[in-house]
Amino acid sequence: KMKSSLMHLVPPVSRDRIISHFPKWYTPEACLQFKDHFHAQVRSACQQRNTGTVGLKISKVVVVGDLYVGKTSLINRFCKDSFDRDYKATIGVDFEIERFEIAGVPYNLQIWDTAGQEKFKCIASAYYRGAEVIITVFDLADIQTLDHTKQWLEDALRENEPGSSFIFLVGTKKDLVSGAACERTELDAIRFANEMQAEYWSVSAKTGENVKEFFSRVAALAFEQSMLKELEKSYGRMAQIGAGNLIRIEGNSLETPESNAQANCC
Amino acid sequence: MQLVYPYDFRLTEKEKTNICYLSFPDSYSGGLGDTQFSFRLRQSGGQRNTRFGEDGEYNTEAPLTLQRESAHYFGYVYFRQVKDSSMKRGYFQKSLVLVSRLPYVNLFQSLLQLIAPEYFDKLEPCLEAVCNEIDQWLPPVPGQTLNLPVMGIVIQVRIPSRVDKPGSSPLKQINQENLLPAPLVLPSVYELDLFRCFQPVLIHIQMLWELMLLGEPVVVMAPSPAISSEMVLALTSCLAPLKYCCDYRPYFTIHDSEFKEYTTRTQAPPNVVVGVTNPFFIKTLQHWPHLLRIGELKMSGDFPKQVKVKKLTKLKPLDTKPGIYTSYKTFLHKDKTLIKRLLKGIQRKRPSEVQSALLRRHLLELTQSFIIPLEHYIASLMPLQKAITPWKNPPQIRPFRQEDFMKTLEHAGPQLTCVLRGDWLGLYRRFFRSPNFDGWYRQRHKEMTQKLEALHLEAICEADIVAWMKDKSEVEIVDLVLKLREKLVRARCHHLPVKEETLQRGGLYIETIIGSLPEDLQAVLHHP
Repeated sequence: KMKSSLMHLVPPVSRDRIISHFPKWYTPEACLQFKDHFHAQVRSACQQRNTGTVGLKISKVVVVGDLYVGKTSLINRFCKDSFDRDYKATIGVDFEIERFEIAGVPYNLQIWDTAGQEKFKCIASAYYRGAEVIITVFDLADIQTLDHTKQWLEDALRENEPGSSFIFLVGTKKDLVSGAACERTELDAIRFANEMQAEYWSVSAKTGENVKEFFSRVAALAFEQSMLKELEKSYGRMAQIGAGNLIRIEGNSLETPESNAQANCC
Repeated sequence: MQLVYPYDFRLTEKEKTNICYLSFPDSYSGGLGDTQFSFRLRQSGGQRNTRFGEDGEYNTEAPLTLQRESAHYFGYVYFRQVKDSSMKRGYFQKSLVLVSRLPYVNLFQSLLQLIAPEYFDKLEPCLEAVCNEIDQWLPPVPGQTLNLPVMGIVIQVRIPSRVDKPGSSPLKQINQENLLPAPLVLPSVYELDLFRCFQPVLIHIQMLWELMLLGEPVVVMAPSPAISSEMVLALTSCLAPLKYCCDYRPYFTIHDSEFKEYTTRTQAPPNVVVGVTNPFFIKTLQHWPHLLRIGELKMSGDFPKQVKVKKLTKLKPLDTKPGIYTSYKTFLHKDKTLIKRLLKGIQRKRPSEVQSALLRRHLLELTQSFIIPLEHYIASLMPLQKAITPWKNPPQIRPFRQEDFMKTLEHAGPQLTCVLRGDWLGLYRRFFRSPNFDGWYRQRHKEMTQKLEALHLEAICEADIVAWMKDKSEVEIVDLVLKLREKLVRARCHHLPVKEETLQRGGLYIETIIGSLPEDLQAVLHHP
């Protein structure tokens, strides 16, 4: 009951942020999974609205890569559907929240757009912590920036539990390179992606090519993962019925009994 | 001062000097490590425009105790002192200070806890990045929960609103609005752990509340700026929802530009609560009527040791033991049940937040019992609705007569809502002489005046203007147009409690009236 009243507080998610089918990979040669549907457990949990105790799930995404490869442009194309020709270096970090509805369940991506500038590298570690998704970005027209992605990834991974984050490798500015050049660079990039255990995507923030598809894929993968974790946790809790720790009255014990009951009912 | 960020933030030399002295412990403190405290300083030199134009709107919706200050700054300090042989003095000593006009002590101290350690390590780029993030935060709106991204996490906190039910637990509200599983959720932007702050003075709560209510000059002498500033903030917050209208300085040093003003003996001590750490103040503030000396917290068994009330003559500049040095006698008796409940709570190891909530509720009920008769009386001074007519100036609010008020206490006094016995009348009489009464009265008077203006404007907008105009001369009609215009402008600027429809109807009226006038006059009125 409380959950449904929560939903009314926020306006509905825009139509192009509703994901009902599992979005497809960009290339089978470097992709994180081949399935074209949600995990059975997740699907049934979503159908039964048995999606955990909290109304809304959220995942943290960090975007890293060299200066001027187009991290901010990529995010702006997706979040604001805009492209600005003028370059302005990001100071420190920018932040966006993007709302989705996946398999009928509200879901948010918290996107941290980090600065590529050398002088901000020292502070970046604080921002990498707890990232469920790491997006390493390079410029398809500047092969050196691809070389640097390994270092960026290494820095970001250092702040996270091994194996806890999805990794993406994204080549930007697809509009600036010819089809042949793009294919050549992609070969290198796919090799990199496999070494990095990353999924590969080529995109253009200027034309918008593949941008929405890419972020939908990111959202779906992160969503499924976080649902699975949540379900695992709640099975863990179920198993403890009788252990006497299922019902715990939290917070202010001065509250009236009704309010406690309410806080624990869902 | 090593660095000010953002670069274009202007402070006068006097303010800079004050901030520098207030950002470091002013007497030797042996403790190494990190410590956090707060201060408040007077703005010097002229009015400066605040960055947000919506000050007015924020201040009308925020609880009075959380309004943006126009004449003072708050400073929130994170101070680090560690041994470092590469430094000249053998120590690394640095403070990161956040300066704001908002009294959000919890939010800003939590923020500093995140930023400062990174800043000491990584220096300017850290500050640049963090300030850039803070720049993008939405301005605070009372009643809304803010999600504040910083340093890779999101701080979630609710800004209280004036229409909140007093005493409703902010924790509970957060739980309901907590949409995100991962953010750092602060239970409150400003509320301190009252129980922890008051631990050594629990049995004197009644006296401290009265001293605050009456705006008495109080010195808090503590072993560290952290303890002094928390105690002063706890004291001033214990009147909520009543606003503490006197000056207060959570931490104050001998170098402060107001030092002379406060220590002079040619005048009575000002209505200020000052928190100090330097024992030198015992000598310079000897003539102040109340001094609360607290030491490091001592336990006797399970219970925190309580300080005793002592005579002012016992004050010794060099060796002053913890105690409340005063000759003050409370008007009301102590609430022994409260103290028993708190002590029982300690015995049962009840969490500090619960003890604080208990304490806060007690203080809230006490303040409300005290203030409700005053609210009733002042509401009775408002003219009757039927006395408001469109073609006359709004009627006056009747004057506040202390004796009339006192008479109301017989049948509607605080004894209705409060079990505490004692000399309530004496307490009210003393309160009338305090800046807190003055502040409360001005605020209410302003609100009532605005309400009257709003009702008057509504009456005008509902009147039959055309009928009125029939037998009126041109001069009178022009006069009406000008007056009505002025009223509409005032209503918008002062955020009067009028409906948007009324304002629009007023605008239409002006058009109608002007339309009925000769053309040359119309032109003049359209382009004033």
